[in-house]
Order: sequence, then structure tokens, then C-alpha cells
Amino acid sequence: MADDAATVGDEFERERVPERALLGFKSFVGMYAGEHTAGTELMIGPLFVAAGVSAFDLLVGLLVGNLLAVLSWTLLTAPIATRARLTLYYQAERICGRGLVTLYNLANGVMFCFLAGAMVTVSATAVGVWVDFAPPQLNDVAPFPLPEGVYQSLDTFGLIEAEHTRRVESVNVGWIAAVFAVGLLTAVVAVYGYAFVARVANIAAPWMTLMFIAFGLVAMRQFIDATNAQIGSAADLWHFATTHLWKGGEPQPGQVKFTFWHVMFFAWFCNMAMHIGMSDLSILRFARKSWYGVATASGMFLGHYIAWIAASLLYALQLHNDPANTSVLPGPLAYQACGVAGLVCVILAGWTTANPTIYRAGLAFQAIVPSASRAKVTFAAGLIATVAGMFPAIAMKLLDFVALYGLLLMPMGAIIFADFYLIPKLRLRSDFAEFVGDRFNWAAGLTWLATLVTCCALVAYFGKDKIFFVGLPGWFVAAGLYIALSYLYQRRNRA
Amino acid sequence: MRLILQIVSWAALATTALAPVLFVAGQITLSHTKLMMLLAAIAWFVTTPLWMGRPKVDETLVI
Repeated sequence: MADDAATVGDEFERERVPERALLGFKSFVGMYAGEHTAGTELMIGPLFVAAGVSAFDLLVGLLVGNLLAVLSWTLLTAPIATRARLTLYYQAERICGRGLVTLYNLANGVMFCFLAGAMVTVSATAVGVWVDFAPPQLNDVAPFPLPEGVYQSLDTFGLIEAEHTRRVESVNVGWIAAVFAVGLLTAVVAVYGYAFVARVANIAAPWMTLMFIAFGLVAMRQFIDATNAQIGSAADLWHFATTHLWKGGEPQPGQVKFTFWHVMFFAWFCNMAMHIGMSDLSILRFARKSWYGVATASGMFLGHYIAWIAASLLYALQLHNDPANTSVLPGPLAYQACGVAGLVCVILAGWTTANPTIYRAGLAFQAIVPSASRAKVTFAAGLIATVAGMFPAIAMKLLDFVALYGLLLMPMGAIIFADFYLIPKLRLRSDFAEFVGDRFNWAAGLTWLATLVTCCALVAYFGKDKIFFVGLPGWFVAAGLYIALSYLYQRRNRA
Repeated sequence: MRLILQIVSWAALATTALAPVLFVAGQITLSHTKLMMLLAAIAWFVTTPLWMGRPKVDETLVI
């Protein structure tokens, strides 16, 4: 069982992965393909269209961005993972000390809860096909009325554009009940039936991948029929794509305009926490060879290329049929294209990915309070995710949220990279917190904080859409700062 | 038995892939496409759990 497998002994949480436990290339191809063909892909594809993306920017931007993501895993994460063969948490603890890793776990756990909340939102939209309630709109924040001051405060922090945000006038009981039912079920299963869900996820993965492709094909045909377009050549298809599918132009009110660079950086950095943030050290430490990092291409090009494009077609068709209907509701979109099978796909895609995310959040929280039972902590994480899922703003602003999530955890990756490769070359000591028995490496802590402050300052100065770009300079800032501060920290602690 | 289940599973998967292609080619209607995909989904989820992830039993040893 997965629950049992996550115990210290079996998961090698505080030791190198032994030779006998190493896995072959195919294991990683399947795992990454399944993990990145998730419910949230059905939100992200439509949000590109809502962001006014053009055909070239989307197709080429995703191609380049996903390629850069694969290279990041292969050239940065996997070489460290296969040499150290330690979990991210243990490696970070050796460098930063237990106190700082506890803070990292807290940040990680909270972000996992919000991400799982977005997945619950996706599944709950499917309930709306059968049960009559008002679905959330693209620019909704909460399912109940909020004081005007809240909208203005969120606007001040750059989280929403108050001008374009819909003011909900009454409590949307139907939506709250739908999310609560889906979220509660997900939380309970995450506690008691994780192994069952993992099995369902494995079985559903090949079918779901084909369903995502089906969404795109069916939507494309419906689009051609709706426009009476004649497609007889590749040139016709490209003309159709640029004039109907991804026309570019102004984004929907309240959405950031996406250019080639936005798409490319989003595709590259939407999993920033996992590659340059080094979260996937915990996974790739089981790889026999570091080049197994290229297995991530299965997830990037099936989930973050084909699935995003297919989902974007569903939304583009909806906008073509009714320009006033800007809601991004994966359930109805999938049902309209592929019927009940499409709806089942949405529910499964959201459910099977929300469950491990809640489970991971529970593990992160449990690391902070080791005496708490895993079941209780996981259930609490599930409830937080459920409450988060009730707020449409998280799912409807998923592009921004994913960028923020990566940004928050990225500095730890730069610290690990610098500590692994650069610190020994500069005659400093790697894993210094473990060496001196320190609980809080303030060089690493200050690096994390200063990097986030720098990134926030850059976003505040250059505009909030730059949140998709600042991860790149931020990573170098973090690596440089960590080296400089380590000089001071190690000299002081050795004296 | 395992082989039969696998054949049904792969046929279901092939149907899931084929139905939208036939729709794009104008060979079947949307309602037929949806029906084919639903039946394929049922076939996949009924048969696949019976063999996927389960150890292969050497039938010569089961007497």
C-alpha cells in the first residue's frame, strides 16, 4: 500500500536509495505522463484562450517552453538526484537545518492544498451538468457576497482586477454543496483509500490521455462545421487556426494578455518547483541514469502540449458559439464534446490528481508535527483544499497561482544546486547545517526571503504579468546570494 | 482468460481513439461518437482492473 510505502524504511527517506530499488526508464515515462495529464490541464488550456493568445504564440511557445522544462529536469535536477539519491527534504535538511525545512514544508503543504482545491473545483464543475446550480464565472472570487473593501484589498495586492471582478449578490448554495461533496469525498479517500485511487489513476491514465486528444479532435470538427470552413491543405488549417481557433487580440476582461514569451515561460516554469526548484529529486533519485530525466517529455508533451491545446479548443468553440459565455467550466465543456465519457474523464482527472496532492500536503504537514496521526493531518489538508476549491478565483486564476507556487519554492532549488556544485569549488563546505548541527542555516533562510522580496519587487515595478518571467533572474539571484551569505555564515560558525 | 481481457481492453482503447477520428472524417455523427466513447469507457474500466497491475499467474502451476 502506498501509505505503508511512505514509511521511512521503505521510502529511503533518510538514506541513499540502494541499487536494488532503482527503477527503469519506462517507470518514469508512465509516471510523468500520468502526473501531468491532470484535471487542471482542462483549466489551463481555456485560460490561454481567455488570455488572448495567438496560434503561433501558443503552438511554438508551448513547444519551446516544454522543451526547456524537459532540459531543466534532465540537466539540473536528474544529475543531482542520481548522484546524491536523497529526497528533497533530507537533502534540504542537511543544507538548511531542520528549522528551515519545517518552514519549507509549511509553504509546500499550503500550496499543495490550494492546488488540490483547484482540482476539486474542476471535478465539481462536472456536477453542474446533472445538478442545476449557477456555475462560477471567469471573474468570480467567492461563492458569496464579500465587502467591497475585500475586492479593493485583493486588487491592491495585484491578486485580482476589482474593476472586472463580478460581485456575487447571494450565497451560491448549490456550488458550495457541490464542492463540499466532491472535496469531502476526495479527502476521505485520500485518508483511507489512497492505494485504491493510485490504482484507479494508473488504470485511467491511458484512457484519459486518449480522451484529452478526443476533446481536441471533436472540438476541431465542430468548429469547422460551425464556421463552414474548407480545410484542404496544411495552409488552410493554419489559416483556420490563426483566424478562428487562436485569434490573438485582446484578452477577456480581467485576464493578462499572453504573448509568445508568456506562453513559453509559463510552460517552462509551471513546474518550476519540481525541476529548478528540485522537488523532483525525491522522484528522480530512483533513476538508474541521469538521462532518464528526458522521461519528463511524456508528461510535458502529452499533458502540457496536447491536453492544453485540446482543452483550449473546447473553450474557443464555446466562445465562438456564444461570445458572452466566458465561463471556464471543464465539466460542461467536456460533456458537450464527448458526452458522458467526457464528463467521467473530467471527474477522474480532477479526482485522481487531487488525491495524491492532498496526500502530499498531509505528508508535508506531518513533517512539521510528527506526533500527529497521518490520517488526521491528511483529512485536515483535504478540508483546507475543499474550502479553497469553493473559491473560484483560485481555479480561474490558475495561471497566476501556478506561477506563484513555483516562485515560492524555487529558491530552495537554487540553494541545493549551489550547495551541490559551487560551494565545494569555493572551498566551502556542503551540507553545512548537518556538519555543525545547526537547526537553521540563516544563509539559506535569508537567501529564500531576499529572493522572494526581489522577485516581488520586480513584479511590482515591471507589472504583475511579469510574475511568469521573474523565476529566471530569481534563480540566479538565489544561487548568488546563497554563495555570498555562505561565506559569512560558514566563517562565523567555524570560528 | 487474461489474454481475452487484454484484447477487450485494447479494443476499448482503440475505439476511444477511433471514434473522434471517424467523427472528424465525417463518417459518424456526434451522438454516435459519444455513444462509442461511452461504451469503450465502460469496457475499459470493467476489463482493465482485472489484469492491469495484477501478477501473471502461471496457469500450468494452478491445478
